[in-house]
Amino acid sequence: MRTSLFTAGAVAVAAALALAGPAQAAESDAQLSVLHGVPGLTVDVWVNGELTLDDFTPGTLAGPLALPPGDYDLAITAADAADASAAVIGPVTVSLAANGNYTAVANLDAEGNPTANFFTNDVSQIDPGKGKLTVRHTAAAPAVDVLAGGTAVISGLANPNEETLTLDPGTLSVSVAAAGTTEPVIGPADVTVAEGTHTVVYAWGSLADNNLQVAVQNIEGLHSAPAGVPGGRSGAAEAATGSTGQVATTVGIGAAALLLLAGGFAVSRKQPAFRRIR
Amino acid sequence: MNRTTAAEPTGVPPASGRRSVAQRTAARGPAAHSSAAHRTVGQRAAARIAAAVVTVSLLIVGSAASQGTDAPPPATERTATEATAAERSVAERPAAEGTPTQAAGADGQRPGARQSQPRAAAALAPGSAVPVRPAAPPATAPKDPAPRALTVEGTTINMAVVEVGVSPNGAMEIPEPFDEAGWYRFGPAPGATTGTAVIAAHVDTTSDSAPFSQLKSLTPGTLVTVRRDGAPPVTFRVTGVELMAKDAFDGASIFRRDGPPQLKLVTCGGRWLDEQQDYGDNVIVTAVPA
Repeated sequence: MRTSLFTAGAVAVAAALALAGPAQAAESDAQLSVLHGVPGLTVDVWVNGELTLDDFTPGTLAGPLALPPGDYDLAITAADAADASAAVIGPVTVSLAANGNYTAVANLDAEGNPTANFFTNDVSQIDPGKGKLTVRHTAAAPAVDVLAGGTAVISGLANPNEETLTLDPGTLSVSVAAAGTTEPVIGPADVTVAEGTHTVVYAWGSLADNNLQVAVQNIEGLHSAPAGVPGGRSGAAEAATGSTGQVATTVGIGAAALLLLAGGFAVSRKQPAFRRIR
Repeated sequence: MNRTTAAEPTGVPPASGRRSVAQRTAARGPAAHSSAAHRTVGQRAAARIAAAVVTVSLLIVGSAASQGTDAPPPATERTATEATAAERSVAERPAAEGTPTQAAGADGQRPGARQSQPRAAAALAPGSAVPVRPAAPPATAPKDPAPRALTVEGTTINMAVVEVGVSPNGAMEIPEPFDEAGWYRFGPAPGATTGTAVIAAHVDTTSDSAPFSQLKSLTPGTLVTVRRDGAPPVTFRVTGVELMAKDAFDGASIFRRDGPPQLKLVTCGGRWLDEQQDYGDNVIVTAVPA
């Protein structure tokens, strides 16, 4: 009885320690990027009433900022405003989840009015050998098709929507055309899809003002390892080992057993670290 | 998950204790009946009552202990305090020039009240070095020169190296020719300043051993030379050979894109498993810049 109580206490303490780990501050921070996609307007960006980005110019991307999870008020004012009270966009309240990755975009809506959009970025691991491409329509323009090498890969994308493709890595010649057409209104421009990277392309600007363009944000480090290394075909290498002298075989088996032990040890040691990363 | 494992042990012992008290009370009943007739039985009953008292007192201690060690309430409290610590650590960031400050650093100020969000936002004020860049398509970073050939001292390994990727089934591609090795082109190249370059080849052909069957016998200190495309060769020194069971394949430990520069030569080995038409293990040679 006493023993089990002590054990219970020890388990509870161990569990408490384990719980304390993931709750460490920096590890749960959300990542926030801010993109300026309103042509011809230099602005200041205010977070919770504090000036955060001074003289933020169109076509620039700020961040990512590591922020503790929670709600934040974002407001965009004319450059050199004294405070956030006279916002030209917002204020909007955004919720950042622990470990979330977000991009707040100041942009034009389809009709050309300044607005803000808040996108959640997919930062899940990407299959080995693949990359992700997301296209976000944040321009004053009707629905569009996105063409790669002249073929529509995304159809009928409207402001402020997005669409994500998982692709083989490489450089694509991307253009944007009005939905159902192939005459480019943006591009063609080279867009590189890198393995293990989520590339986010924003179409921004105004069709009417003839200043449509693309902004690119890369989120790297989402790669994963191949599922295996299949280096065997027939078992001939094992047979070959068996045909060599008996002494060599015995030594070989001994060495292999040692290696196995070492390997097992290494694997068992790696396990906790692996879990911590996840 | 941690919470359940913590809750179970603290919950279980009192429950079993309670059960044993009930059993003992039941046993004491008949004993009390016949206590006048049989002294020994009475003594035994007294002993049982004493035992029950001890059990009950243990129970009380137990429940007190379980209250004290009950995981869930402290856990939620902890989350709250750590959230506070997190905000505080961000508030401290400007002083640290944007370097992430660990919550541990703020622990000394625990009694402090929860910081308001404007304080957190103050951390983002100019001077905290928020990185801003043109959102134009980034220039592609110059690539490290690709490996073209591989030789291993003391063996007949002298192979062409080709660039490979991932097969449709998610495994690393391995060149078909028995005298070619494949470099995993999505990872670091041999000679890169960071991470592990992986070169793999078959251990056998359909009828014979292939050059990489010699990997398993390499000894530490063996020199491995990689000739590169338009760059001087790089030389590595073997630090170890290990077997990794294929059913416990830990790709993340091999295909590292961070960490110190390393070269790993990988093939198959261990026993041939007829039913799986595959070897049981991977042979993994680790080498570091010589």
